[in-house]
Amino acid sequence: MAGRDLEVNAAGQAGDESDESAAGRGGGMSAGLSDGGSTAEPDGGGAARPAGGSTAEPGGGGIETVRVGPSVFVRLKLRLIAGNLRGSTSRVLGFVFTLVAAIAVATLGFFLMASLRLAPEDVALDVGIVLFTVFLVGWTLTPLLAFGLDDTLDPSRLSLFPLRTGQLAVGMFATSITGVWPIATLIIMIGAIAGLATGIGGVLLGVVAVLLLFALCIVTSRLVTTALSGILRTRRGRDVLAVSVVFFVLAAQLPNLLLNGGTSGDPVALLHGGASVLRWTPPGMAAHAIADGGVTAVVELAVLAVLVAVIGRLWIMALRRALVSADASTEGASVRNSKGLLARVLPDGPLAAVVTKELKYARRDPRGRVGWFAAIAVTGVMAFSLSRDQTGTGSIALAIAPACIGGVLIGLQSANAFGIDGRSLWMNSVVYGTERDWRTDLAGRHLAVATIAAPLLALIAVVAALLAGDLLWAVPGALAAWGILGVGLGTGALTSVFLPYTVPERLNAFTGAAPGQGGIAFLASFGALIGGALVALPIALPVLLGLPWVSVLAVPYGLLISWGGRRIAGNAAFRRYPQILGAVAHSS
Amino acid sequence: MADIVEAVRTQGLFKRFGQQTAVGGVDLIVPQGSFAGLVGPNGAGKTTTLSMVTGLLRPDGGLIHIDGVDVWRDQVVIKSRIGVLPEGLRLFERLSGRELLSYNGQLRGIPRAEVEQRAEGLLKIMDLTEAADKLVIDYSTGMRKKIGLAAALLHNPKVLFLDEPFEGVDPVSANTLVEVLQRYTASGSTVIFSSHVMELVERLCDWVSVMNRGQIVAQGPLETVRAGRSLNEAFLGLVGVRDGGGEEGLSWLGATSR
Repeated sequence: MAGRDLEVNAAGQAGDESDESAAGRGGGMSAGLSDGGSTAEPDGGGAARPAGGSTAEPGGGGIETVRVGPSVFVRLKLRLIAGNLRGSTSRVLGFVFTLVAAIAVATLGFFLMASLRLAPEDVALDVGIVLFTVFLVGWTLTPLLAFGLDDTLDPSRLSLFPLRTGQLAVGMFATSITGVWPIATLIIMIGAIAGLATGIGGVLLGVVAVLLLFALCIVTSRLVTTALSGILRTRRGRDVLAVSVVFFVLAAQLPNLLLNGGTSGDPVALLHGGASVLRWTPPGMAAHAIADGGVTAVVELAVLAVLVAVIGRLWIMALRRALVSADASTEGASVRNSKGLLARVLPDGPLAAVVTKELKYARRDPRGRVGWFAAIAVTGVMAFSLSRDQTGTGSIALAIAPACIGGVLIGLQSANAFGIDGRSLWMNSVVYGTERDWRTDLAGRHLAVATIAAPLLALIAVVAALLAGDLLWAVPGALAAWGILGVGLGTGALTSVFLPYTVPERLNAFTGAAPGQGGIAFLASFGALIGGALVALPIALPVLLGLPWVSVLAVPYGLLISWGGRRIAGNAAFRRYPQILGAVAHSS
Repeated sequence: MADIVEAVRTQGLFKRFGQQTAVGGVDLIVPQGSFAGLVGPNGAGKTTTLSMVTGLLRPDGGLIHIDGVDVWRDQVVIKSRIGVLPEGLRLFERLSGRELLSYNGQLRGIPRAEVEQRAEGLLKIMDLTEAADKLVIDYSTGMRKKIGLAAALLHNPKVLFLDEPFEGVDPVSANTLVEVLQRYTASGSTVIFSSHVMELVERLCDWVSVMNRGQIVAQGPLETVRAGRSLNEAFLGLVGVRDGGGEEGLSWLGATSR
């Protein structure tokens, strides 16, 4: 076993990401070992392992083993939650906040659901159907966005324990419902019984329907997580998923945009249309069963129960497979060894090195890609909403604002310039010996951002100007946006040096900083935003208010601010770099 | 000891993290041209000491001289003279091995053609030519240590600091690392590496510094420190490990209990 330990250890060295794959391989190995040991499993070498179970076999030291039931997993989950809170005031506060929010949401949700009784019966049913569907979809998608937030969610961590797959499944199910949000969901769903049920039969069947739907939510969510955990354990899988997070967030904006767009004037008709589509989906059937309370309801519940069983079965199968498969993505393909146009133009040296590296990172690091996609997407959404608000004749502000917003958002990305480098920043630190070196480093980062951003902002300005009705407006738009970008880079350099924080390598949609650094992260981006906005005001305000010629001054002004920011920040970075190194290298 | 030329000398080096004193007055001495091992149990302060000596962590007190130059006073001179391979081995993951080397060389202002030539040679000797265009994130531990060492050697430093260079490295890669390092010290350059594999230190080093609980407990030529014993015995004696004991509680462990 010693050799095995070494290899697990070695794989663990390769980086945080690989310890799960190491555990996964270890799981396969230990399953094989036990087959050669006391009892041979009929299905041979699968994840199902001989365990104590109820038939107490002799354990390690000749003692009777105790059955490992779901309560063990529930206690593990509770202990993990408690352990995560220990010694960190900010995390305790965060948890209390979550708890209060969940109680509020649960209470409010329960009473809103119950108040459906006051609405006409058919409208109430339609609302119930739509809301139940939202629950199921939410439960299916959340693990995609939040993977890595919960230690008990990853089955490979448990794969070295002698557990049967069935035991593991029951345990994982138990841990999944142990939590603030699952219980809040259940409470809100129970509200639907109060809101929709007719007669005693409706209530009785309603309880069954809610429990089945709740189980369906959990099991589906689990199936998605487990099926994806194989992909999520590979580097490429995580890369792809990290970028797709942006699209999920965007998709959440879609209904909002459509409603703003006013595709249908009548909300009740819209609701009914949606509900009639969803009527025969599982959540639709659950809602209908509560309202119906008759023979149809019984049939619907039977269908629902079968569905839960089938998905549960699929989940167990996925679980069994996930435990014994390993990450093979490190046999990755080679990258092109191109120099890039800019590197050929720039003189040889640190500046060219930093620019080339930054441009590669923008392309290859999912965090870089997410940042750029998000900046473009948010600009698009805001431009779209702006243009919706002011129908009719276009104004110059409408043509200029989108590019300016883009400039702000892209500038904000540089508010923590050293964060993406993280622990690799030592490599620059052991080279830079003067203030000038650090200023050059920042200049390289700014140049890289500007290389991508300048044409992009010009493009946004042209599109916005075309939409607003006068192509000429693109000129002040692009100039103002470039100026604002310069201001953003300048203020961002300051926050990068004075308020640096770790960007976690595992992205999820809910946090942008390592545990315990949320406050600094908030302060840094908020500071960069407010500071940048204030400094940009002298050029942005006149242009937006209808003095487009002021935009001629925007670019020199932006260059000046970014130069000043680099100067102050670079000089400070030379003195502060051990602190910066410490701040961006938190283990996440 | 006055006659030896020192590559590294620290005086009263001191670092606290909150309540805990990680390094409490370390006087590290490494003569020039030596292959020096810094040994000690986990938590002895080896990594903290090396981080401070290489200018990655600011000490709370004490002096550090490399080649007679104060590390925190003249950083330009120091940083061009030292090569570093820190613990944990965080490299720029999204660059390929070749790109990582050329980034490093350009950052140090070495002409591009020269960087490419040196990188090619280093990749070849490290047996990384095939993997040169793969991203570092997809490298194994041994490959990462090798590319990290290549990056540290690229500017031909006078003193090389390596934190646990052999941890988690397979025997073949370890052998490559050793060969490169031996060739490097043979030319008069200095290597200081931390490790807790005594056999390796005994085999490679001519100078040993033993750390325990944030202090140097023994330091000098290998033969002096081990004083006729194996280095492992000498080390266990120095850090004060009790013999035996605590075995009664594990009576169930092992095949005999079945």
